[in-house]
Amino acid sequence: MMDTAMDASSEASRVRVEGVWKVFGRRAAEAREMAEAGAGREEIREAVGSVVAVRDVSFQVSPGETFVVMGLSGSGKSTLVRCVSHLIEPTEGTVEVCGTELTQADSATLRDLRRRKMAMVFQHFGLFPHRTVVDNVAYGLEVQGVDRRERQERARELLETVGLEGWGDHHPQQLSGGMQQRVGLARALAVDPEVLFFDEPFSALDPLIRRDMQDELIELQMRLRRTLVFITHDFVEALKLADRIAIMNDGAFVQVGTPVEILTDPADDYVRAFTQDAPVVKVLQACSVMRPLEGTEVDHGWPKVSETTPLEAVLPHLLGSTEPVLVCDEQEAPVGLLHADEVAGVISPDRR
Amino acid sequence: MTALDGVRPGADGLQGAWRSGPARLALVLGGMILLVAAFRILTDFGVFPESWNIGLADPIDRARRWLITNQNSHWLYTVFLNPLTDTMDWAIRRLESLLRWFPWYCYPLFTGLGLWWTRGRLAGALGLAGVALIGVIGLWNEAFATLALMGVAVLVSMAIGIPLGIAAWRSDAVARITRPTLDTMQTMPGFVYLIPFVLLFGFGRVPAMISTVIFALAPVVRLTEVGLRTVPQSTVEASEMFGATERQTLRLVRLPQARPAIFAGMNQTTMLAMSMVVIAAFIGAGGLGQVVLQAMRSINVGKASEAGIAIVIMAIILDRFSTGVATADPGDDLPAIRWLAAVTAVGAVAGGVLGLNEFPKALGWRFAPYVNSLTDWARDNLYDIGGSGIGTGPFSDFVTTQLVIPLRELLSSGIPWPAMIGIGVVLGLWARGPRLAVGIGAALAAIGLLGMWELSMDTLAQVLLAVAATLAVGVPVGIMSSHNDLLRTALRPVLDFFQTIPSFVLLVPVITLFHVGRIPGIIASVVYALPAAVHYTDLGLRRVPVETHEAAESFGATRAQRLRQVEMPLAAPELMVAVNQVIMLILAMVVIAGLVGGGGLGLEAVRGLRRSDAVGRGFEAGIAIVLLAAILDRLTRAVADRLRPPAAV
Repeated sequence: MMDTAMDASSEASRVRVEGVWKVFGRRAAEAREMAEAGAGREEIREAVGSVVAVRDVSFQVSPGETFVVMGLSGSGKSTLVRCVSHLIEPTEGTVEVCGTELTQADSATLRDLRRRKMAMVFQHFGLFPHRTVVDNVAYGLEVQGVDRRERQERARELLETVGLEGWGDHHPQQLSGGMQQRVGLARALAVDPEVLFFDEPFSALDPLIRRDMQDELIELQMRLRRTLVFITHDFVEALKLADRIAIMNDGAFVQVGTPVEILTDPADDYVRAFTQDAPVVKVLQACSVMRPLEGTEVDHGWPKVSETTPLEAVLPHLLGSTEPVLVCDEQEAPVGLLHADEVAGVISPDRR
Repeated sequence: MTALDGVRPGADGLQGAWRSGPARLALVLGGMILLVAAFRILTDFGVFPESWNIGLADPIDRARRWLITNQNSHWLYTVFLNPLTDTMDWAIRRLESLLRWFPWYCYPLFTGLGLWWTRGRLAGALGLAGVALIGVIGLWNEAFATLALMGVAVLVSMAIGIPLGIAAWRSDAVARITRPTLDTMQTMPGFVYLIPFVLLFGFGRVPAMISTVIFALAPVVRLTEVGLRTVPQSTVEASEMFGATERQTLRLVRLPQARPAIFAGMNQTTMLAMSMVVIAAFIGAGGLGQVVLQAMRSINVGKASEAGIAIVIMAIILDRFSTGVATADPGDDLPAIRWLAAVTAVGAVAGGVLGLNEFPKALGWRFAPYVNSLTDWARDNLYDIGGSGIGTGPFSDFVTTQLVIPLRELLSSGIPWPAMIGIGVVLGLWARGPRLAVGIGAALAAIGLLGMWELSMDTLAQVLLAVAATLAVGVPVGIMSSHNDLLRTALRPVLDFFQTIPSFVLLVPVITLFHVGRIPGIIASVVYALPAAVHYTDLGLRRVPVETHEAAESFGATRAQRLRQVEMPLAAPELMVAVNQVIMLILAMVVIAGLVGGGGLGLEAVRGLRRSDAVGRGFEAGIAIVLLAAILDRLTRAVADRLRPPAAV
């Protein structure tokens, strides 16, 4: 996933968010002024009675990139993703998805964009209890006016993709939480969107199921290469999935960077607090720590690992010898190098 | 109790002072007694003075006469009301003749199949037998008259109610109008709806149908709105995210998820329509209600019970079918049901062509004579068993002379009327605040000015006695049932059964035993309201969280202590809701009991419906009933609110 993040600046971005504010309640302008002068959320709420949920957020997401917004509850991350997907209107700022500015678009344009280009997976699944699983997955196509046979066929294909073949005629509430969210994922993928929004999709699941779903999402993303905007309150999840992470606090972005940047160079104590307890060696994979080859000469006798190997499995190789470890892609071709001192820099708590 | 007693920090001033604990209540009661004593000593006030009557009856009677003479000439009739009447009447007649075109045998068969489909084999068999029984006891024609009237009323209610519910959900402005209107409509006894429509339309099926629609409308509107409001936001967001239009989201996501609530509303509307169509016999609705009414007037208990049973059968079938249709799961029986339904359908068309629509006389069998002889036997033998002074007769006499009459006298003249109004005001002030107090005072004064003071106090006395009796039986049974799942399971079908019976029909068995007078009305209303008392008590106590039980037990509380110190205070608001429901049901029933000699406002209203020269008085009585209902309803609801623990911040 690293490679797409690297050339983010060279390609047009799929999602562009510019100076977005969201103020709930009246007297938005006053609240904004106070926020710009540095007042906290509580202070503003007491003074003018409105809540500044998102303050001056800007970011861009490149095609194929996974952009994770991580924040604790009340940090404004859910509001932010709703502003970006335009389920709620931002108070100020511009949001552009696939080159169309949503803040300017009329309802027909917005509807068309939603039908063809974007989809969302919800925290509590948002499945329709009155429809069978296959009809849930086919919903987006039904709204588009695709005829029944075609949409059912496509829906069954997608159920296979997420590992739910044979469950199509059940109702969602008859499925376990993990399976329900697979339905949610299949439903979002059914319309073949370019941009996918995830609003804490796995937070309602058991830890083990959550891990499975994360692994599957990574695997799916490797194949499909969509643009993902992923909201979570789980720092470990963010490290695991993200090409880039934005840490959000009190409505604003505190730091935006790759997982390695966040771990090695936290912007402030708030971010540092998260990095302290992160099981770094389990979460980080070889590809996110490696130095890309870029023409460096390699010795094919060096130990080899795949891109997705977690750091903890690389460590024995590094500790056992002074040689670097070679990181290879699926075709066994070398793509990067891991040096002991650089890896130590990422995992050592002193350096964070 | 501390959570309930404490003076709330925000409530200061006069209202705050009134809104504190039981000590204040004692003060209030003491004040009332002083008030009464002062009025009795210092003045000679008693009954509300006749000379203050504002005389609403005369203008109403004049209006009625004017309406009768102008029925065929005035534009209000020729342009508006007569075409409306004709259309409705046409619809009812069309539906009836359509229903009657099909052969008699297809009805028991279709009912049986329908209940088999929704509720299983036993229900199907009982349904088939039930419908056949209506024909057997010779009430086939009457049953279809009732069914046609009801069918049109229910269809009209749905056609108005569902769109209105959607409008109320969509627009807060509409909801702000519909909600209080529906609340008020539901607190009024169905009986009073008949009066204005009889005034406007005269007697017949159309005013009966219109009042039925208005009486039955509330649940379907309310539950459509509630159903739409409770659709999870996440599913609506999901739909929006797929680019669904507002209309697509409504049709594909909101309405299907609101369907169970809308079905529940349709069921309640159907049941209310059923009970109202029976009562509407008073204004010429015809059908089964008419048979009950005439039989009761001539004290032909046997005939009345036949029609009563036909009504109960219809009500139960409609209820079971309409509650089951949303969750029908016939399983393996489905092919058999389909096959039989197809055969029946073919048979229905064939029979229709052959004109087999009359229920065969050869199958007739009447049980009225047996009931009549049972009634005679009861009168001869139970009225005063062996001359011992024990029996229904002496019991009636005792209750009448020792309880009903003294209480009536106390309320109507024993307590001077200004003191009575004062008591109402003080109670309103204590329960909620100045607004309610003023409202109650005004309503009581209006009752006096309408010249309905004595009759209202008569009705109030009966209501209070019936409420006391209902709670004395219902609350302990509810407490037992909340602690005993076995008892609850045993009680459920009984409670369900009694709640399905249209109120009017309950009078029939009671007059078998107690003849006419005030006592059968009071007893029927107790029976009518008892299920609600048991149900809400049970519900309230069961809602008390298990943790609080366990907490109380861990401190070593006995069962009685737990009930008294934990469960009852926590369930108090729900219990007060039970009291509210009981009062409203009893008032509705006591009013109808005017028909069997219950006296009070009910009798006056019944007379107004029966004789065109008494419409004015009947109208006044109707207003008094509405005012009385409003006072009792608001007061008990205010007390229920008071008992609620402070809401979480």
